[in-house]
Amino acid sequence: MKTFKNLVIPYVIWSSLMLLLPMLLIVFYSLISSGNTIVNFQFTLANYVRFFTDKDFLLILWRSLIIALETTVLCLLIGYPCAYYISKCSKKKQNFLIMMITLPMWINMLVRTYAWIGLLSKGGLISTILGWFGLHDVELLYTQSAVLIGMVYNFIPFMILQIHSSLTKMDGSLLEAASDLGASPMEAFWKVTFPLSLPGVISGITLVFLPAVSSFFIPKLLGGGSWYLIGNVIENQFITVGEWNFGSAISVIMALIMMLLMALVRKADARAKKEGV
Amino acid sequence: MENEKKKLIQFKNIQKSFDSDIILKGIDLDIDENEFVTLLGPSGCGKTTLLRILGGFLDADEGEVIMDGKEISHLPPYKRDLNTVFQKYALFPNMNVYDNIAFGLKLKKVSKDVIDQKVMRMLRLIGLEGYENREINQLSGGQQQRVAIARALVNEPTVLLLDEPLGALDLKLRKEMQYELKRIQQEVGITFIFVTHDQEEALTMSDKIVIMKEGEIQQIGSPQDIYNEPVNAYVANFIGESNIIPGRMIHDKLVRFDETNFDCVDVGFKENEPVDVVIRPEDIDIVEPGKGKLNGTVEDILFKGMLYEVNVETVPGTHVTVNMTVTADTENEKSDGHIHISANNFFLDVVDMKDIQEKDLIARADAQAWNDETDEQLSIERVETNLKDELGAYDITFYTQDGLSITKHIRVIDQMVFKNDKKNEAVSAFNFFKTKDEIKESVALDTDLKTWANAQGWKLDNEDEAVELYAEYDFDPENIEEGTYPITFWTKGRELKIHTTDYVKEGSQVGLDFNPEDIHVMEKSRYSA
Repeated sequence: MKTFKNLVIPYVIWSSLMLLLPMLLIVFYSLISSGNTIVNFQFTLANYVRFFTDKDFLLILWRSLIIALETTVLCLLIGYPCAYYISKCSKKKQNFLIMMITLPMWINMLVRTYAWIGLLSKGGLISTILGWFGLHDVELLYTQSAVLIGMVYNFIPFMILQIHSSLTKMDGSLLEAASDLGASPMEAFWKVTFPLSLPGVISGITLVFLPAVSSFFIPKLLGGGSWYLIGNVIENQFITVGEWNFGSAISVIMALIMMLLMALVRKADARAKKEGV
Repeated sequence: MENEKKKLIQFKNIQKSFDSDIILKGIDLDIDENEFVTLLGPSGCGKTTLLRILGGFLDADEGEVIMDGKEISHLPPYKRDLNTVFQKYALFPNMNVYDNIAFGLKLKKVSKDVIDQKVMRMLRLIGLEGYENREINQLSGGQQQRVAIARALVNEPTVLLLDEPLGALDLKLRKEMQYELKRIQQEVGITFIFVTHDQEEALTMSDKIVIMKEGEIQQIGSPQDIYNEPVNAYVANFIGESNIIPGRMIHDKLVRFDETNFDCVDVGFKENEPVDVVIRPEDIDIVEPGKGKLNGTVEDILFKGMLYEVNVETVPGTHVTVNMTVTADTENEKSDGHIHISANNFFLDVVDMKDIQEKDLIARADAQAWNDETDEQLSIERVETNLKDELGAYDITFYTQDGLSITKHIRVIDQMVFKNDKKNEAVSAFNFFKTKDEIKESVALDTDLKTWANAQGWKLDNEDEAVELYAEYDFDPENIEEGTYPITFWTKGRELKIHTTDYVKEGSQVGLDFNPEDIHVMEKSRYSA
């Protein structure tokens, strides 16, 4: 037993070095002025003040939250019926469909997003098809819609998988009971199936919203720089401008916002769990 | 005067199969108003399938379901005026007790205060007042059961379907719920259709029992009818305990079994028709030997709480005793270096001689060869014998591949067969020879003894039907010495089960008495009990 316990030591060292230390460093960096070193520094809140007093940054933050929210709502609206349909299929067909959903994830996200540039660009597949219907000169690439499409495409499997697993866990006799008590299929869905699938919906929302709000390469590739999101700002501060301290401050702000949202979701989840199962 | 009740539900030629399994083979059944009807049968008899077809959860392949004169075969469940209590209750886990019960009423847009009144009345009916705000997972199995009943009943259906609703409860709770359900049914006065495999449950609660087997209805009747007048051995066995004896109808009101004629009250059978006779254990009285209709020996007596269950053997079984000659271990064995061969002397029946083969001789002699170094079994390569198809003593020699041989004797005899006309059976067995080691090493001695003695039992009227034999001996297999030992092979006699409150001693002689009306004659069933 004791030797077994010792196996955890490398992991503790690794995670402190690779996870905890960088995070502490980011918090540290966000609180010192630029040009300072680890041995010679001065605490300051200037980086935070700069973020909250600059309208542009606040606008970008707001825009990021909105687009993440839109992504989540779209994923839910498309993903729920999809997961529902899959859960009604035979076991064999379910396995096949779930594999089809997860299949694209075997390919690098960046590569998949690049593929969308080809699809959305002028003369690409989608604009050609729209052309057949007389919709010429529709600007697709480098618009907010392109960013949204890319986000939904990349994150929707998480939503479908979560909802699907909560739907398949449901006892089929509950629907028979609802029908027996006079509920039409529609009423049975809204009164029984949907409330019981809420835990899956909530974890799906978490898994889509969090990566969506901080993603930077989807807006960069499909938004073409005109659709700047908070992830891009952070990337820019670190890579291009070299303002590590300001970039760290934005990261910390994002982390706090996400923690807050997570806490809210957890609370809603707990309530759904209490009502469910 | 005809007491015609209104037919509420009619099943007409309902057929259903899943894949290639035929579950229902054309069910015709009428159910009246305000009846407590039980569909009774073992698992897989189709009772639940029939209930699910009525509930609308399954479509029949063929046939019609008619309710209140209207065909409802193709209506979805939510358009049928009946409610179901599911096997595992299927209560909605996202709602509390109140919302579960109110579910159906809310869908019908009943006003809030009416829902309130009805739910509260239901909670009173099921004895769960004050539980309305409980969560479902806070309730015990019995309480969930009651909520499931209330949730269905509150909709005031004309029929309540119950699919083995008591299956998940413990014995005490089951009994309680049985009375509870009967009370509720009488109080609300609607038709209950109850599915169970528990015959006692069926007898306790039902007005009408429908006994099913393999997708067919065997019998429909009141609990009393079915208990007292089962139509065949299957029903008699399924409902209550019974003695079922094969017999023959001499003519109306006279039946013959165990070589004796008995007066009975049954008519309508053909003369000399083979029948099954059932006598219920509680209808037989134990009297002085010779003073009853049958005599017998008390085989065993079991205390069952309220009464004793006595098994009385009225017709003895058949016995055959053979001699087992135990020889020294060396006599039957020869060896050459590491190669060993062994065989036994044996008897053969002259009537079996016609189609005897080499492999039978090897088996009867239990001839074996092995290598003690490699522990390998060797085959018997060759058999030489001067065996002839007539009585006498012969030699037989078994050879291994390497030429090692052992010579033993065969005695062809005219084997006695012990016939027992009363029990319609015969048994036979041979004397045989064994070594001490073979007996000590046997792991299933009774079975081995039967094999060695070639002991067999069969029905006189059907030689292919085997009768089970039991072996009895009086030696200690662990410490057996050379010598001759008697072994008796026997069949069980006809035992009648009797329920009585009086104690009788095991082994004592008793007389058995019963009245002509206690004998119930049934059509010979296709099914064996």
